[in-house]
Amino acid sequence: MITRALQMLKVLFLFAIPITLAAQYQGTRNTWIEPGSQETLPGFDVFDNYLGKLGVLYASGPVDTTGHPFFTPLGSNGRACVNCHQPTYGMSVSAEALQERWHATGGKDPVFAAFDGSNCPGLPQDQEKSHSLLLHRGLFRIPLPWPPQNADGSPKPVEFSIEVVRDPTGCNLSPKYGLKSAHPTISVYRRPRPAANLKYVISGGQPIVLTTGLLADHDPDTGRPVSMNLMSDAREPTLKTQAVDAIMGHEEAHESPSRKQLDEIMEFESQVYMAQVEHVYAGPLVERGGPFGLGPAALRDRQPGVSGDNGFDRIFGIFDPSKETDYYRKSIARGADIFMFRQFWLRDTAHINSIGLGNPLKGTCSTCHNAQMTGQGLSAGWVDVGTTNYPTWTEPDTWTETADLPVFKITCRPDADPHPFLGRVIYSTDPGRALISGRCADVGSIVMQQMRGLAARPPYFSNGSAKNLREVVDFYDRRFDMKLTDTEKDDLVNFLGVL
Amino acid sequence: MRVACALCLLVSAIAAAQQRNFIACPIVRDTKTVPCFLAEYQGELYYLGIQQDITAEVPLPQLKHEVLVEGRVSEGPRVCGGIPLKPLSISVIKEINPACNTILPAEPGIDAPSGTRGESPDTESLSGRQEFTVLFAFNDDDVEFGSIATVRKAAGYATKIKASAVKVSGYRATTLLSNGQRMVEKPGLAEKRAQAIATLLQGLGVASVSADWTADPDPGDGKNDPSRRRVTITVVP
Repeated sequence: MITRALQMLKVLFLFAIPITLAAQYQGTRNTWIEPGSQETLPGFDVFDNYLGKLGVLYASGPVDTTGHPFFTPLGSNGRACVNCHQPTYGMSVSAEALQERWHATGGKDPVFAAFDGSNCPGLPQDQEKSHSLLLHRGLFRIPLPWPPQNADGSPKPVEFSIEVVRDPTGCNLSPKYGLKSAHPTISVYRRPRPAANLKYVISGGQPIVLTTGLLADHDPDTGRPVSMNLMSDAREPTLKTQAVDAIMGHEEAHESPSRKQLDEIMEFESQVYMAQVEHVYAGPLVERGGPFGLGPAALRDRQPGVSGDNGFDRIFGIFDPSKETDYYRKSIARGADIFMFRQFWLRDTAHINSIGLGNPLKGTCSTCHNAQMTGQGLSAGWVDVGTTNYPTWTEPDTWTETADLPVFKITCRPDADPHPFLGRVIYSTDPGRALISGRCADVGSIVMQQMRGLAARPPYFSNGSAKNLREVVDFYDRRFDMKLTDTEKDDLVNFLGVL
Repeated sequence: MRVACALCLLVSAIAAAQQRNFIACPIVRDTKTVPCFLAEYQGELYYLGIQQDITAEVPLPQLKHEVLVEGRVSEGPRVCGGIPLKPLSISVIKEINPACNTILPAEPGIDAPSGTRGESPDTESLSGRQEFTVLFAFNDDDVEFGSIATVRKAAGYATKIKASAVKVSGYRATTLLSNGQRMVEKPGLAEKRAQAIATLLQGLGVASVSADWTADPDPGDGKNDPSRRRVTITVVP
């Protein structure tokens, strides 16, 4: 009887610790930075999130936002870069934060601009449902010309035709904004990527892309090859061209930003580092003798372009489960080991299994997420892991009436190479890189993104389909038949949550 | 003279007897370490390689695709349960075939060998007119991992000597299978191969690149067919 009572007390105690600790992190302070704000951001700031605290480090010191082009509207819709790249949310933005903004501003915040902050500009903008993809998935509309264009505006040759099969937003079949409009356009919906830790993201350009055997894009200013890892479809080569594209598009500017403005934006973006600094249950993460990769200062201090797919110089350093005594620290360390060493069959993944390495191959998470400090790919890393293409896509109900993403049918030309694992007819919610390259082999391929500050910026995947990190892990477990136990999934979630 | 000719014929016949050119679904055999790739032809298993990194000698097959195997039976013990072929060429057939989906479980006593790396970068100093050869998989104009180094080497040499001309010549070929069937690469491929390499060279900063191609396919002899699926880069000082 006494033993049973003690057991119950133990259970209560174990539950009480997380609940008490979790309470400490409730009541997040309002840290949304409005465009045009006039404040000084401290050189290092800490923000609460559902898994602990995120640290944001400005390597050049405190930032005066007054008149700074990153924080100042440069276009016609009142937006600035900061709208979608908020420090609190890992220099991206979370769906929850967007919902808070909707309610706080009655939907008037410029982040909800009709152009791309709604499902389609033609919808009634005062209604919440017209912004459902942004509010529930954190997705902005990305209108892309079809066929894709060269830098001079001429059409690129394409290997496939594209049809709209489902159009829940109404934009792709719209006579004004759609595929058959005067300016044929395909609208896809994507998450904004973090504007931080960028020295890692833009490093490593090679003249020829190893996975395609084609020339890499070049920096138009220097002529040097670029990493092609900056955007989810690699459509912009540099921070500068991305900034121009964003200002002319997302901010709806009528004239190009000045050289000075672009320089200031690039200078700011190049010195922002962010990473989780505290775990809600495991406590502070940056410690002497701990894994070298945690916290934003490590990102500031280490060098890009290093492979971490090995046992001695790992992606984020060594987490040793045998040395940990705390329950959550042990779990985090086990998760790191799973990420680095748990083998599974990597199958049917275009640009991994289709490039001479064999299909299938035995690998680990770090086989592909091999860049030290960020977990991106070291080479130009667009990969069709299957999030947007049938039958592995993340949307179990994409065919139903309640589905909210468009579905496209891609038909490859007979004289073109088919998609390596899906053949000549592919159904996709976002053809990804193929909308830029025009290649069938690229349909559904999305550039790997950095794995830092994840706790600050749900939902996940480029289509915002995973509401939390558990859903990310569940997707990979299904996709690659990893056979993870519930405990192993928890371990991976805890590990991802400290990055 | 007659004796010499007879000897030639005999050597040729032996070589042909050792040659295996066939199309089959690849088979993956798991091991304690990395998987082996095999293929079956006329009731016999042939070893095609093991998983390794981008430095592998030969690109590996893919499940969901048939593979064209062109190789010569090599002396020595079986590897992963299969007869080794050397030299070996593997071409993944681009159209998908879902029936190609066999993974054999690991078996005691069948281990993966250590990997064989491709040739290391050539450091010999070049001079004068040079020809570089880029090989392709059957019916393919994709430039493979291993070939990128060749293109970069040719570009580096052309740039270094400020070549007066760089001539790129594309070819397509025929493969003679062991069952007597002839497979001809698709029309237009010689041009696509030549243009692909010329584009890479120009992108690597090489000036004076000209491209030509031979539209008709080279004939196949069942022995040296992989070496005819090629682009040659001639760098003229």
